[in-house]
Amino acid sequence: MTFPESNDRRKKIGQAVMFGLSKGISYGIVALLFLILFFIIKQGIGVISWEFLTAMPTDGMTKGGIFPAIIGTLYLVGGSMLFAFPVGVMAGIYVHEYAVSGPMKRFVNMMTNNLAGVPSIIFGLFGMALFVNQMGFGASILAGSLTLGLLALPIVIRTTEESLKSVDDTFRQASYALGGSKLYTIRKVVLPIALPNILTGLILAVGRVSGETAPILFTVAAYFLPRLPNSIMDQCMALPYHLYVISTSGTQIEASRPIAYGTAFVLVAIVLIVNILAALLRNYFGKKVKMN
Amino acid sequence: MTHLDSELTMLKADIIDMWRLVLNQMEKGRDALTNFDRDLAEEVVENEKRVNSYELKIDKDCENIFALFQPVATDLRLVLAALKIGNNLERIGDIAASVADFVLDADTDFNKDILEHTKILEMYAVANEMMADTLEAFDQEDTRLARTIFKRDKILDKIDEAALDRVEESIKNYPDQVRNCLLVLSMIRKLERVGDQSKNIAEEIIFYFEAKVLKHKKKKKKEGDE
Amino acid sequence: MSNKIETIDVNLHYGDFHALKDISLGIPENSVTALIGPSGCGKSTYLRLFNRMNDLIPETRITGKVLLDGENIYKIKANKIDALRRNVGMVFQKPNPFPKSIFENVAYGLRVNGITDKSFIEGQVEKTLHQAALWDEVKDKLKKSAFELSGGQQQRLCIARALAIEPSIILMDEPASALDPISTGKIEDLIFELKAQYTIVIVTHNMQQAGRVSDYTGFFYLGSLIEFGKTRKIFTNPSKQETENYISGRFG
Repeated sequence: MTFPESNDRRKKIGQAVMFGLSKGISYGIVALLFLILFFIIKQGIGVISWEFLTAMPTDGMTKGGIFPAIIGTLYLVGGSMLFAFPVGVMAGIYVHEYAVSGPMKRFVNMMTNNLAGVPSIIFGLFGMALFVNQMGFGASILAGSLTLGLLALPIVIRTTEESLKSVDDTFRQASYALGGSKLYTIRKVVLPIALPNILTGLILAVGRVSGETAPILFTVAAYFLPRLPNSIMDQCMALPYHLYVISTSGTQIEASRPIAYGTAFVLVAIVLIVNILAALLRNYFGKKVKMN
Repeated sequence: MTHLDSELTMLKADIIDMWRLVLNQMEKGRDALTNFDRDLAEEVVENEKRVNSYELKIDKDCENIFALFQPVATDLRLVLAALKIGNNLERIGDIAASVADFVLDADTDFNKDILEHTKILEMYAVANEMMADTLEAFDQEDTRLARTIFKRDKILDKIDEAALDRVEESIKNYPDQVRNCLLVLSMIRKLERVGDQSKNIAEEIIFYFEAKVLKHKKKKKKEGDE
Repeated sequence: MSNKIETIDVNLHYGDFHALKDISLGIPENSVTALIGPSGCGKSTYLRLFNRMNDLIPETRITGKVLLDGENIYKIKANKIDALRRNVGMVFQKPNPFPKSIFENVAYGLRVNGITDKSFIEGQVEKTLHQAALWDEVKDKLKKSAFELSGGQQQRLCIARALAIEPSIILMDEPASALDPISTGKIEDLIFELKAQYTIVIVTHNMQQAGRVSDYTGFFYLGSLIEFGKTRKIFTNPSKQETENYISGRFG
């Protein structure tokens, strides 16, 4: 049989066009990312110094450092994860391993998805209503962490569920076949296998939480607090909110512009470092549990 | 040992058992002839059933091995060889039984001179030795020994060729033994076939151990040997 | 030889799906029984009756009797199911060692069942690894992760893991389908060795494998047991046309 050569040519051209297009777009996205990074680095790097990272802000936030904001962010991220990780993982385990499929499970799933879609300012309002006022925590690290934790919860639940789903069922069956109970199986077999993926979800949540402004707006963030918090019932500063404040509502916006860029730089750097750590951690655990 | 290996070992053992049985049949046939032992001849005829059932068993075993294990290469050659060796052994068994049948057909014992003159005893000796040697060649994987079979078949052929004249002479010498002389001629015609069967077996042994098909180039080879 | 496992008129439904239809079959002790048939014919489902793995699937209904050593295992108390499963080892299609060391994988079944005697566990692990023909390959790296082993070694480890708690029955669900021919050969030899002590039931898509390893073969089709008998008989002269068509590759 002979095939028309023109067809081969046409296929080749079609391929080249589609390939070129998708290649261009993906390179464009990378370029955009680098542009943003370059912009922030260029504007912010000049401000970065040991003093900037470790000193208190002074002179109406036009001078000095952002130390309390860095520490505040770390507290809030840490606090929110202390809440969201165990609760989220347990919820994920329940939904995937224990809940019987049916309307109830579908409803829980739907609600988890909806929770993930709720705008973060709503979380802020809710956090204020529940933790700050109703439960009487006041504007505090506790209230802020719980609010951020709530925000992170759907991500943790979702990734936990997905991670558990990706654990081949025969692992569970193999354990049951040896006389293992459900709890023992989950603890000794399923969770260790799912852990790398769950950790990835956790890190994603950290990235999300560390950049949020709205939920901490009413629950914890201090406009200006040039000292470290004393307890979890204390208010604190936080990087995103600090950035927001000095860029929009400070008294001398122009004068604090460099500091704003410095703050942005630090925030981006933290998120980047967290993501890199996530990748390393995942690789490390992934190797230990590698399938062939 | 793998499962297939153990099956093949069993197959080999069965063939060797059958071999010994057939060789035993041949020897008993000869003894029945020389001693004119009718009971022994009966026994040989009777035992033919055992030989046949051995062949059926080997056939069945080979069939199973083909169906269950799909043997390849040397395993395949062994099974193919086993199939054919079993077949040839069964025919030798038939021959041994036929000779015993001829013994039963005789009215009187066979004159020693006739047996001597027609060289039927020499034939038996060579044929049994061929069988024993092919068995050893198979058991010991000795293809050189297997190759010696082809030459010895010639001895049987020569005795067979000369048999008509020698039997005729014997009839002249012992006119009272015409019936037995004719029986001896029939026996010689049968025993000649043992050489051919042994040759086939030797070919299979060489095929199995060396993977060379001798069958179709034996003419040339034999000329070269001589 | 007596029947280790016997099923009498077993029917199994998944929801509306009638997965097993009136299966009556006796599986002889200390032998290898292969279950063959096209995908979805019910052979794996049938295999999973014997350690009640089907219980894990919702909306499963089972009628009829499944006798193991004469006892109907679907009539036992719920707290006896773990004991049943200890008596029935299982090996899966893909090697699935746990994310633990080689040693701990084999010891898992002992630990999960409450055995704490360290020297007993050590002895049992070594004995079982010998049985699974794996000891020489792993004796110097028992503390290493099981995932460092090759696929074939992993599968033998999974067999060792099943053997460690001394079951009397081993169920294998296509144990070599994810392995290369050499590893497959090793698994098959192992099955051949093990049948002296265990009753083995193996599901396989590979008919040649069924021929090589099994003493008895059952052919399943559309949830029914079409034919059961000695493997030699099934492979050389099956009684049913469907069996003939399936094993000779002239199916459908």
